Amino acid sequence: MKAIRIGLAALFSTAVAVALSVAPATAKETVKVGFIGSLTGGTSANGIGGRNSADLAVRMRNADPKSKYKYELEVLDDECKPDKGVQAATKLSADKSVIAAATHYCSAVAIATVDVYHKFGLPVIVWGAVLPEITYGNNYKEIHRVNGTMINQNETAAKFVTGLGYKTWAVIHDTTDYGKGHNEYFSKYLAQNGGKILGTFGVTADQQDFTAELTKIKSLNPDVVYFGGLTPLGVRVRSQMEKLGLTSQFEGTSGIVSDAFIEGVGPLAEGVVAFREGAPPEKLSGGRMFLEHYQKQGYAEGPEAYGAFAFAAMDLILDTIEATGPDRKKVIRALENVKDRDSIIGKITFDDHGQNSVPLITKYIVQDGKWVTWEESEYAAGKRKLKRR
Amino acid sequence: MVTGAWRAFIPLLPGVASAAGAAVYLLLLLKVQSQGGIAALLVAGVVAMLAAARFDVMTRVARRVGEHEKAFNVIVVVAVLALAGLLYDDHFALLLVATVIIYVIAALGLNIQFGYAGMLNFAGAAFFGIGCYTAAVLTKNTPVPHLLVLLAGGVMAAAIGSLLILPVLRTRGHYAAVVTIAFGLLFKIFLEVNDALGGPQGLRVAGMQVLGLEFNNNIEIGEDIELAFYVNYIALGLMLLVLAFIFVKRLERSWIGLNLDAVRLDETAAACFGLNLVRWKITAFITGNFLIGLAGALYATMIGFIAPTNFTFGDSLILVSIVLLGGIGNPWGLVVATAILVIVPEKLQAIQEYRFLLFAAMVVLMLLFRPQGILPRPLRTYFPGSPK
Amino acid sequence: MDLGLFGQYVMNGLMLGMMYALVAVGFTLFFGVLNVINFSHGDVVTVGAFTALATYLGLVALGISSAPTLVVGALLAAVVSMAVLGALIARYLVLPLKSAPSLNTLLLTLMLGTVLHEAIRLFYPRGANPQRFPSLLPTDAYTFGHFTLRLDNVLMLLAGLAVIVAIHLLINKTKIGLAIRAVAQDEETAKIMGINFTFIVLVTFAVGSGLAAFAGVIQGLYYSEINFAMGLLLGVIGFSSAVVGGLGNVYGAIIGGFLFAALQTIGAVALPFASAYKDVFAFGVVILIMAWRPTGLISEKVSERV
Repeated sequence: MKAIRIGLAALFSTAVAVALSVAPATAKETVKVGFIGSLTGGTSANGIGGRNSADLAVRMRNADPKSKYKYELEVLDDECKPDKGVQAATKLSADKSVIAAATHYCSAVAIATVDVYHKFGLPVIVWGAVLPEITYGNNYKEIHRVNGTMINQNETAAKFVTGLGYKTWAVIHDTTDYGKGHNEYFSKYLAQNGGKILGTFGVTADQQDFTAELTKIKSLNPDVVYFGGLTPLGVRVRSQMEKLGLTSQFEGTSGIVSDAFIEGVGPLAEGVVAFREGAPPEKLSGGRMFLEHYQKQGYAEGPEAYGAFAFAAMDLILDTIEATGPDRKKVIRALENVKDRDSIIGKITFDDHGQNSVPLITKYIVQDGKWVTWEESEYAAGKRKLKRR
Repeated sequence: MVTGAWRAFIPLLPGVASAAGAAVYLLLLLKVQSQGGIAALLVAGVVAMLAAARFDVMTRVARRVGEHEKAFNVIVVVAVLALAGLLYDDHFALLLVATVIIYVIAALGLNIQFGYAGMLNFAGAAFFGIGCYTAAVLTKNTPVPHLLVLLAGGVMAAAIGSLLILPVLRTRGHYAAVVTIAFGLLFKIFLEVNDALGGPQGLRVAGMQVLGLEFNNNIEIGEDIELAFYVNYIALGLMLLVLAFIFVKRLERSWIGLNLDAVRLDETAAACFGLNLVRWKITAFITGNFLIGLAGALYATMIGFIAPTNFTFGDSLILVSIVLLGGIGNPWGLVVATAILVIVPEKLQAIQEYRFLLFAAMVVLMLLFRPQGILPRPLRTYFPGSPK
Repeated sequence: MDLGLFGQYVMNGLMLGMMYALVAVGFTLFFGVLNVINFSHGDVVTVGAFTALATYLGLVALGISSAPTLVVGALLAAVVSMAVLGALIARYLVLPLKSAPSLNTLLLTLMLGTVLHEAIRLFYPRGANPQRFPSLLPTDAYTFGHFTLRLDNVLMLLAGLAVIVAIHLLINKTKIGLAIRAVAQDEETAKIMGINFTFIVLVTFAVGSGLAAFAGVIQGLYYSEINFAMGLLLGVIGFSSAVVGGLGNVYGAIIGGFLFAALQTIGAVALPFASAYKDVFAFGVVILIMAWRPTGLISEKVSERV
């Protein structure tokens, strides 16, 4: 027994040593940039996808012989918890050698950390969090965001689905800031467009069983079930609808626009509608290049819904540092003037709050196991039909 | 020739040496950034801990320390201040030190409940959260002086905790655990669903302000030295910690502590000797929650933003883990265990998504090797000081 | 409320309750023989479900396509490997801590649970994402108004009930069961009577963990989806159910499981506040029950303990 324990300890110590030993070598001046996202916990799939994408941006830049600097990416985990986020943000910002960072997937973390970045003057570009107040809550010059807010997304969503002739909705949303925010804005815009919400159901983010809520929704008999939340819950809700014989149309938010959603629900994904800000990467030449390189690097996990944004954010940071040199203040000034900048997610223009005024919300539908844009789908062409009650 | 002053110092040596050793180790751990360095330090730490356990160093040091407790208390405070001084402008390291201090205060509260009275509390994070939310609401909506806000955090936690008194008193062991687990989960879900307290987005909390001193501003000394603002929180936290520590130590040594021990060890026997179980359990539960809430209020003002996801079942477990790993009932053990549980996961950031896997495996091993905790509580000494 | 709708709620509640009960029985068995709480139990459910899924994928890759073979194969692989895992946990992690404070076991198993689900998240291919679990049972559905009765749900419910009955028979009618009960009642005396204590503990952990694997497979079939985090809340609920029912009592655990499911269903549909409060309601009632019956609904026989 003793021997086993000591053996385990030895094994463990070597494991630590091996896991931690990576050392790069340099010739150019090294510049540090940061990435923060949720690498552990329930939303880690998105966090790791974002991390890989940011990592890809840095690798591609380092491989480019024309780049002036050698970049080193410091990656931190915020666990999707505000206090851990503040810790990570403090770590990055207090480290003067870090010039800029792409930060946060979770809104509650992003909103908690803006003060830290402001205090330390670290320019950051938010790559995933969708809460409007992150950019609009303060007038901080350090904070930018490449992805849109849930306001944009739901305005389009409400207009689009009412335009399809649906009249009644039931809403399921998770009780995180993401789900609650989506519920709020969707309900608001739906009312403006004349849709009617028959029932709203909040669920906790780690809930497994939705049969009670869905049975109640079934009795309300809505045209559409709107789901505000992320992929894991979305998969469960969609699968369980089927089990209960609930045949309403399923509509989601940017949180479910991921391959994982389709893999998770299988054939039931067919005809699911969702919305995401930005142009679809496959449509832009830069986006196709991103997906190709991502494949080539052989990351074990997919880029997920916001990988392209993380890449775009990091790429914009690197572009800016190339132009201005590694100086936080200069980077902040340069980011103020970002206009019509080409990126893999379409043009980027920061408004006076550092928010990318995304002109475009893409409407997605699942067709034959793939997310395709609505305009290109056979549903829009009338060859296939959405679910009608 | 050994002079008189030196001779008086010699018995203190083990304590001083271990405090200095720990401080240097901590300083290195906080300062080192490279992956190799962190790995080497962690491995060295594990090896040192195993060696210490093997050669029984811990108990010997603990005994010596017990004999000269007052001197040792001073030594530790000096060590922490020295650490803060050396790290003066390293915000992140200081934030971690401040977090450790605050968590120790909370763990002391849990220690009164669990270590002395034997009452399980798996809702530590919830009571911590009550302190946090009290601080958020009071600093935002009222002009209450901020030091009083800290007290209010503690009082609120104790008050809301007393709602649970009936079920907690009636149940024991794992049954009591379920009461607190249920409360902890209920608390978090309630905060998330209900928008009155910011809902899932959480609340912003203003920084501390005492007698015109803004805690969230860096301290400038002269022209070029700027202390990180976390030094303020470390100073205040350390003051509270010293008070809490003295309080807990006194409590342990007093007749109240004796009563609590009796209640924990054998309720039936204690009741037979005429001890009022209800009174002592209520005392321990409320005092403990007060300390946890107090720590929460300070934490909220330091972090500046709180949300329900900070107060999950997992966070309660971290508090319980601190008490268990430290060696149930020994306040000194708490300090060491808190440092491990707060700083090591942060240092494991270097391995990104693998860090919890490794951390959990580490705790499992630690429990297998030292099931009694790092510094188990020594036998009660009825006559403090060296028996001569 | 119309009858069909009511039937649907009852069916949902029964399925949920059965899964909770299966998990709770494990908790109560472990507590019975060793007086410890094994908090990695919820994550054993997860590992069991993933083992079943991996076995299924492996069998399909081998060219097997008959649904019954696949179900039995996946189930068997999951149950057997989790039984082994449970015995290993007992032998190398729980028994060595027998003389330490019982809470240490709790902390150790909690951390072990973290190791288990983190390992799935990191090392199962794309483990951080939810995985689709195949529907292997006949999915014929009969509709009565708002009530959709699916054949697979009926089969699962029957299988679950059969397993619960089998556990009852195992505990009460077999020699092993007698030994388990003897150890649960008095370890020392049981040893004197020639019962191999370590062996009985291992068997109990194997049985409990096998049940967890069964619950995991049922969960996968029922929800058509499994994920690395599914065991977290399930573990807490299973533990609460076992405690509400009365630790150490198998029937208590079963009652506790169904009670908890009923509370959640009622909280979601029958109460006047928003459905998001359903867990607040369920846990609130748990606290009240504990205040009312401090040792669970079917209380432990404590006479020999003091």
